[in-house]
Amino acid sequence: MSKIVATRRVVLNVGLGLTMALAVSGVISPAAAREKLVINSYGGAYEQIHRKLVIEPFSKKYDVDVQVITAYSADALAQLRAQKAAPQFDVIHFSGGQEVVAAREGLIAPIKPDELTNAKDLYPFAIEGLSRGEGPVHAVAAIGLLYNKEKAKKPEKWADLWNADYKDHVVLTDLSNSYGLLGFLMINKVKGGDLTKVDPGFDAVKTLLDSAVVVATSPEMQQNFAQNDAWIAPYAQDYAYTLRKAGLPIEFVQGAEGTPAVYLTANLVANRPNQDLAKKFIDFSLSAEVQAGWAQELRYSPTNKATKLDETVSKEVVYGPDAVAGLVRFDPVAVDANRAALVERWKKLIAK
Amino acid sequence: MSPSTDNGVVDTPPLPPQGVSTRVLGGIAEDATLSAPGVFLILLAFILPIGQMLLLSLENTTGGLTVEHFTRFLGDGYYLGIVWRTLRLSLLITVIAAVIGFPLAYVMAHVGPRLRLWLIILVILPLMTSVVVRTFGWMVLLGRGGLIPFTLWKLGFVNRNFTLMQTESAIVIGMVQVLLPFMTLSVLGVVMKVDRRLEEAARTMGASFLATLRTVVLPLAMPGIVAGSLLVFTLSVSSFITPSLLGGVRLPVVAGSIYEAATKTLEWNFAAAQSVILLIGVFLVLLPYLKLTGRRHG
Repeated sequence: MSKIVATRRVVLNVGLGLTMALAVSGVISPAAAREKLVINSYGGAYEQIHRKLVIEPFSKKYDVDVQVITAYSADALAQLRAQKAAPQFDVIHFSGGQEVVAAREGLIAPIKPDELTNAKDLYPFAIEGLSRGEGPVHAVAAIGLLYNKEKAKKPEKWADLWNADYKDHVVLTDLSNSYGLLGFLMINKVKGGDLTKVDPGFDAVKTLLDSAVVVATSPEMQQNFAQNDAWIAPYAQDYAYTLRKAGLPIEFVQGAEGTPAVYLTANLVANRPNQDLAKKFIDFSLSAEVQAGWAQELRYSPTNKATKLDETVSKEVVYGPDAVAGLVRFDPVAVDANRAALVERWKKLIAK
Repeated sequence: MSPSTDNGVVDTPPLPPQGVSTRVLGGIAEDATLSAPGVFLILLAFILPIGQMLLLSLENTTGGLTVEHFTRFLGDGYYLGIVWRTLRLSLLITVIAAVIGFPLAYVMAHVGPRLRLWLIILVILPLMTSVVVRTFGWMVLLGRGGLIPFTLWKLGFVNRNFTLMQTESAIVIGMVQVLLPFMTLSVLGVVMKVDRRLEEAARTMGASFLATLRTVVLPLAMPGIVAGSLLVFTLSVSSFITPSLLGGVRLPVVAGSIYEAATKTLEWNFAAAQSVILLIGVFLVLLPYLKLTGRRHG
């Protein structure tokens, strides 16, 4: 206590500059009433990079505290629902389309494009949801074809999965995995189906099953490329980068028929006192610098047109208007409503 | 879940020692006090959740009662197929564990105390490592180009792309290794108590070694084998880490199906119904055993 009093005396004598320095270095931080934001992040490597790129620079820039609670999208939505009367988050991030549900239930508040300085630089798909009361898309994890460049020739389209050249070397992902679900929906679309008509997708998968391996998790995918002579697999672009970092000769291709993706959104929680600061946080996540960081570190694609990437990175994400035009989004509400039925039918199809 | 505790139950003499001691110590009040923490723990951590699970399994979307989750499971060939695979593999795992575990336990019982100690440590050692880690070891050994497929290929039995991963064999191999200690230690506890003079008598009377083993040791060791088998069977019926890692998504077992329903598709009622079915199944297996041995072991 005496230490804090002494510190204050010094501060009063020396002036504002030192106050800032002390506040930043944390000497008086418990006593100082700084503004605070509560947000969620997804844990693991993602959260580490999230802290480095967004959370720490933001709290420095605005001299505020940001408290991070690790919660995946479905979990975060459940928490928001439970806290409806007294919300505890200021900004909530979703990756599975939960913002559509949250907006409909009034759990998140609408943001106007002119409240975000970066909105004018975003691709239209990234701010499309604002009119429906959803938050902007701050990053995209694209789903396409991963292939082993040393063993297989480069695929061009989703239909190449059925190419005889890749027979016995295809890896499919279980529908309990969200990348697997998106990959399947794309296969279904390529084969002429849609969310209400999934027979074409299941029929198409059935013809692959005899010669394909089915995995459920990312590590199994890595194992198949590393040990089991896998050549081609529908999966996520950022994971292709993870595999390359692990020393595997894996490249990512956007299928010519389109690129489904996981859309990562940042949403403003309704009925919180700190909404101005929360909007600043969301705006910060949309900046070209932050998005360049995500692409650099984890190969998530930027949604900000002004994002500058070097040549290597730009080739390994969805970059530029032409590539972005290929992005496909399945209606998250319809996907969510059909998920259990799709997963069950898939399980019955693949079970030996 | 300590195997030695289980022996304790199995090979206790007709009057269990704790029964003797409590009777010597005194009345019901002491009994109640001494057993309170254990009973409380069982109520809190077992009976209560099981009750909730039962309720959950009978709940429909609006909170009313329904048996739809049970009919969905029992009326579907796919789910019955999962049950069949689970039972079939668990029985196979149990039989293999008994066939390997009994001779091992017999040898352990007959060697000197020092060597026995080392053998016990050797048997228990794998239990010190996480099941997941051991299973990953098997994934390396059984996978394409792994030690076992590679050796088989070099010997000319299989082609180069042969893999044991994602097969039922892989599940059985992995599970037997995980569960063998439970069988061995259960049998060991009983075989240790078998009077050596009975074997000597049988040999003196002209029985061969194998005949002695079959007619004297095996029947006397039966309680240990039965206890070990039950332990191995119930553990393998309810395990999902090893089957899901070694068998993969295309060879689902009941426990894995429950896990999927509870965590992936979030159908908690259906997951609860599957758990109840599994629980009843295990009870049905336990029942004859309890009837058979109930009088001897209380």
